[in-house]
Amino acid sequence: MIEVQGLTKRYGSIEAVKDVSFEVGTDQVLGFLGPNGAGKTTIMKVLTGYHFPTAGTALVDGVSVQEDPVAVKKRIGYLPESVPLYGDLTVDEYLSFIADARLIPAQERKQAIQESLAACGLEQAAGKRIETLSKGYKQRVGLAQAIVHDPPILILDEPTGGLDPNQIIEIRGLIKELGKRKTVILSTHILQEVEAVCSQVLIINEGRIAAQGTPEAIAGTLKGTDTWELILKGADMQGITERLSGLGEALKPALLETGPEGGITVHFSVQSGELDGERIFDWAVSNGLKILGMNRKKLSLEDIFVKLTGEHEEVRA
Amino acid sequence: MNAAEQKRPMPLESALALARKELYSYVNSPVSYGIGVFFLLFVSLWFFYFNRFFALNVATLRPYFAGFPLAFILVIPVLTMKSWAEERKLGSIELLLTMPFSEWDLVLGKFISSFIVLALIIGLTIPVPLTLLPLGEFDGGVILGEYVGALLLGASATALGLLLSSVFKNQGGAFLGSATALLAVMLATQLAQAVNLPLWLAEGINFFSLSFHFETFAKGIIDTKDAAFFILTTIGFLFLNTRVLLFRKWS
Repeated sequence: MIEVQGLTKRYGSIEAVKDVSFEVGTDQVLGFLGPNGAGKTTIMKVLTGYHFPTAGTALVDGVSVQEDPVAVKKRIGYLPESVPLYGDLTVDEYLSFIADARLIPAQERKQAIQESLAACGLEQAAGKRIETLSKGYKQRVGLAQAIVHDPPILILDEPTGGLDPNQIIEIRGLIKELGKRKTVILSTHILQEVEAVCSQVLIINEGRIAAQGTPEAIAGTLKGTDTWELILKGADMQGITERLSGLGEALKPALLETGPEGGITVHFSVQSGELDGERIFDWAVSNGLKILGMNRKKLSLEDIFVKLTGEHEEVRA
Repeated sequence: MNAAEQKRPMPLESALALARKELYSYVNSPVSYGIGVFFLLFVSLWFFYFNRFFALNVATLRPYFAGFPLAFILVIPVLTMKSWAEERKLGSIELLLTMPFSEWDLVLGKFISSFIVLALIIGLTIPVPLTLLPLGEFDGGVILGEYVGALLLGASATALGLLLSSVFKNQGGAFLGSATALLAVMLATQLAQAVNLPLWLAEGINFFSLSFHFETFAKGIIDTKDAAFFILTTIGFLFLNTRVLLFRKWS
């Protein structure tokens, strides 16, 4: 549905996005994850035809964003980061303008507006002037604007930015619901958001894709290791390394130290899913070892994110 | 390709949708009313007070309409300064540029709405000639010609104001830029008259002066050459405006 090939965007001398390629299929929710200034918004601006790419192509339903921007824009509903609203209009008037400009036939217009108002929980606010609304409501108006023409593709730039926890849960629920029948791309720097709503993740750092896949796959296999921490009693430092090979051939302790209660603390890493607690327990028993403590640290998306992006956290314009 | 795409919309439908919204904003803005009152006051004072219409004792409205280009120097920048500069400042330009508008849709939408407001403001002056008509033998054709000329001049100046509004980042800059540009093109013909310039230079300056082309209308002649000048400059400024929008996408 959306194909991006070798996308590069330069603003003057700054390369905001470098050689980014990805694909999104129908009914997927793709999350762009990255620190501020990583290039998430720039990719969205190219997909929505706000900026042309410096190099590379972006196709939406096989249509190039550069060659036929109007056709592409028809298929997309877009919520920019700074929600573009006209404060002097009421919510109803604003959505009427959007519906009008999107050429929704007059007889369907009313219903389309009603539906998007209902979907975003805005029925009570319909007659209010936008400038009098709270931040959360403005965000919802922005979202209502993006879905009023029932587009097959939704692009949402930090849809939960500046909302309180309850509103965040509501908006996430709405996005998840929409994701069942639309292709959704959203950007965020909140990890839980990705884990909560996205079926695919693109981790972007300094304009490049740092990792790509399902949230589980990224957390599991990409840097795909589980780190185990065992506290064992009844073994000595020399013997333990040898005995560990009983768990896996190439298994070597990453850290070996004297632990509490006369035990030894062992840290080691294995491929995810290769080991479970039961096997370790059986192994310990058959080796005459007593387990005082066992702890598995799964590498979370958060760890990966920090690992991939942590060294260059400074914000760029 | 889906059905929505096969059904070709009417050519101006998107532009008119934008124009309607813009008109709504004009109607709700006190600035529009203020500038309308200013225009009426200015042209009336100009005519009755500075040009002493009643003392002249001549049945002509030429001095009345001669005030229009001068008033436009202030009125049109006020009408056009907001249109692009404010959208950029508020970020709502992102909405316009990511909706299925072509650059021409956007520029025409802005132009049509500003022009309608200007036409309404010009229309407010109609009672003045109407009340004066019984006082003498005025030439109705001349008055009509003056109005046609004022509208054409206004269209060209509005397109210029919009173009400059798209270049500036805030409406203050857009106002000063447009007012200066209009002042230059309106008064250039005065320069050609006041200073002894070589003929080619004087003609060149006159060619670019909007008010010079307006003068023929003031004589009651609708000269196709001058009408064409206004229409072409209007289209030219609007075209440049679409280029500015496109250029921004590349930068």
